[in-house]
Amino acid sequence: MASEVDTAPRTAARLLAAGASTLGVSVLLDSAMEHYRGSFRNPAMALPLAASAISIAFDGSGRGGGFPRTASHSASVAIGLTGLGFHTFNVFKRPSGLTFNNLFYGAPIGAPGALILSGLLGAASDRLSGDGGALGSGRLLAGLAAFGIFGSVGEAGLLHLKGSFQNPAMWLPVTIPPLAAASLAVDAMTGVPRPWTTALLGATALVGTVGVAFHAYGVSRNMGGWRNWRQNLLAGPPMPAPPAFAGLAIAALGAVLLMRRARG
Amino acid sequence: MSADDPQQVPRAKGGRAPDVFEPGGWVPMRSHSQDEEVDFVIVGTGAGGGTLACKLAEDGFSVVAFDAGPYWRPLEDFASDEHHQSKLYWTDERITAGANPIKLGANNSGRSVGGSTVHYAMVALRFRPEWFKARTRLGYGADWPIDWQEMWKYYTEVEQALTISGPINYPWGPRRPRYPYRAHPLNEAAKLLARGAEALGIDWTETPIATLSAPKGKAHRCVYRGFCVTGCSTNAKQSVLNTWLPRALTAGAEIRDLAMVGRIEVDKAGRATGVHYHREGAWHFQKARNVVVAGYAIETPRLLLNSACEQFPDGLANSSGLVGKNLMVQLNQAAWGQMKEEVRSYKAPPSLTISEHWNYEDRGKDYFGGWAYMSQGPLPITWVKELAGQRGLWGQRLIDEMARSNHNVGLKMVGEVLPDERNRVTLAEETDRFGLPIAKVEFSYSDNDRAMMKHALSFMDDSLAAVGATERWKEWDDTCHLNGTARMGDDPKTSVVNADGRSWDIPNLWVCDGSVFPTVGGVNPSLTIQAIACRTADRIKALSARGEL
Ligand SMILES: Cc1cc2nc3c(=O)[nH]c(=O)nc-3n(C[C@H](O)[C@H](O)[C@H](O)COP(=O)(O)OP(=O)(O)OC[C@H]3O[C@@H](n4cnc5c(N)ncnc54)[C@H](O)[C@@H]3O)c2cc1C
Ligand code: SF4
Repeated sequence: MASEVDTAPRTAARLLAAGASTLGVSVLLDSAMEHYRGSFRNPAMALPLAASAISIAFDGSGRGGGFPRTASHSASVAIGLTGLGFHTFNVFKRPSGLTFNNLFYGAPIGAPGALILSGLLGAASDRLSGDGGALGSGRLLAGLAAFGIFGSVGEAGLLHLKGSFQNPAMWLPVTIPPLAAASLAVDAMTGVPRPWTTALLGATALVGTVGVAFHAYGVSRNMGGWRNWRQNLLAGPPMPAPPAFAGLAIAALGAVLLMRRARG
Repeated sequence: MSADDPQQVPRAKGGRAPDVFEPGGWVPMRSHSQDEEVDFVIVGTGAGGGTLACKLAEDGFSVVAFDAGPYWRPLEDFASDEHHQSKLYWTDERITAGANPIKLGANNSGRSVGGSTVHYAMVALRFRPEWFKARTRLGYGADWPIDWQEMWKYYTEVEQALTISGPINYPWGPRRPRYPYRAHPLNEAAKLLARGAEALGIDWTETPIATLSAPKGKAHRCVYRGFCVTGCSTNAKQSVLNTWLPRALTAGAEIRDLAMVGRIEVDKAGRATGVHYHREGAWHFQKARNVVVAGYAIETPRLLLNSACEQFPDGLANSSGLVGKNLMVQLNQAAWGQMKEEVRSYKAPPSLTISEHWNYEDRGKDYFGGWAYMSQGPLPITWVKELAGQRGLWGQRLIDEMARSNHNVGLKMVGEVLPDERNRVTLAEETDRFGLPIAKVEFSYSDNDRAMMKHALSFMDDSLAAVGATERWKEWDDTCHLNGTARMGDDPKTSVVNADGRSWDIPNLWVCDGSVFPTVGGVNPSLTIQAIACRTADRIKALSARGEL
């Protein structure tokens, strides 16, 4: 079955790149909107936009290689880490520090994590396009994707708690993706991918996609609705955020593919 | 006079009432003829009357609720203009007297379907449990005939109905269930209260507040423009107008707007038979099996006194002589200062953070009672009036001060005034446009009030100093809220109504509003008024089931 051995890593690499760029688009638009809302008060607030934009260019093209790609992915990771620091500082400098209110309305601590993940997934995709190395078994990547999904669940959970789960659909991202991530994490540990996991990851990708529509509806429920889009896009639920789930799920499907191949 | 001016022409008529969630919208409304003896006539549709109308209608009683004010649709009728919005206030002539006459109108009484809650500041607080037994437990005022545990249940019901946005954990008092919606983001004024409280080593929290932090049905969430006390044009504010009353209509209640009740009729047997009301230029009479007065602490005693008749020459429900007495405002003094950085305190609802420390801490006080304090955000006209009236600025100095009002920061107290029979509502000789004697309102601060003010002002001033505010000054004279004047109790000799709001003298005459408070505590009253209304409804249902109405 030489042909399978040949195509699986490539397909996996494509899925990872697709996942990384979906995640990157989500980060780009989300941070653009949020940092615009924050009037780019700190010049560093432009960095995640630049980093995600360049990464998307590389991940999306699927071509080229070598230093520029690696540098771009490393920059994403570095800027993400810096962002984590800034956002944590922003939360803690508010009265009483680590409180729910500050987590709700301070800079979102989890958001820069998505930039780190997009950098790591992009780099992994490059690696697989080459010799694959230790990533070839897919288990490490599955673990990373599971971790990423859990992180996004935490973020969605916090923000949906802020919105008091006022619409039942707000429970979707805190029920389906965690199941997918848990199932994926088990598979990563055992090295045995189960059909369940694939189905749940598919459902997670779907949640990430329909989430955009739900958030669009959420925007319409603010005063003035879509007629007042310039204000309500910023005041309503962030439309670019849900695709982060789709990106992570797609990347995770790449990892599953690698695991399947490793088991023959 | 335009045909669709809600201040001139009643809207709730002909089987329909305004839909508050749709510009130009209508909802069906059940209508009753005047000859039909309805189960309940309710006078006033504010925190007490509106809530009760909803609950009684949902329990299957026939209800007609009257309000002297218009039936607004906030989305189309409210402007972002302080002056224009004074149309929400009760500004009919009243005489105000005493050593410290109360300023009546904007800051204490509304005239609208929905009552004063249409322009209230939405702060939604529970009493400290001991206040329900203030006399026995704390040694002042009077005991309520109701127990705090029972009230806790009704508070929860109201918090759910109004979808209160509040903190995850409330720092004071017994445990309470999680607020339905999460707290709002803090504006700069709110953060400055928090930092001051931290510096002084006391707790603070996000204020539980009746405006939405997320959408609810057709109501939008808050847009943080801060026009709350002039009426909220987004429906984010959870007033009686857009919470209890839509439910009341659905359950079959009838609401009559622009309908001023002038007199309650009592028959020879000493039972109320209905009310005389003025609407569309003429007086009418609505028959009823029960009459509930819910016009707030000035209009309620005024109506009871104005309804004096042969059997009850001193006014209805007044065998104790207490109708109109024990009027309690709340102290609303403030400390102000200037910050170097911009604060823009008027952005967002005015009181997003609070400390109830001095409601729950009794040590270190040389007075009775409690007080809370909250961050502030006065709108420009209110602010210019305070600067001119309280601080004595005029001319160029006033202009200069207004020019830097973006840097202004303030803290305002809500403080407990003790019941005192000398503070009271009586009838004046003069009459209003309906020919009804107007109310005379007398109020004077007591030594206890002054001691509380002194402590609160100096504490709030310390808090401002701790965050670096300069040019600090104290506003010594302001009051808010009106309560008392028809107090509830266990003894017909020392109270006007019993725990159910039922008058001791006339068994089918009830009071359900802020007037029934024996004491006011150091928190804003509307949540307690609504909780009492819910309790009254439950009691009426139980009494009716036993044939005891
Ligand atoms: C500016 C402002 C801010 C406030 N902020 C807060 C706050 O943050 N938190 C809080 O808890 N409370 C607040 N309050 C107080 C709160 O609004 C009142 O305590 C509460 O609404 C009183 O309820 P009520 O039912 O006794 O009277 P109201 O709500 O005033 O209702 C009385 C109604 O009766 C009608 N009426 C009176 N007499 C007659 C008659 N004879 N015939 C027909 N209709 C009549 C009036 O038109 C009015 O609509 C505020 C009040 C104001 C004015
Ligand atoms: S700040 Fe919020 S509650 Fe106040 S008027 Fe505006 S939308 Fe309404």
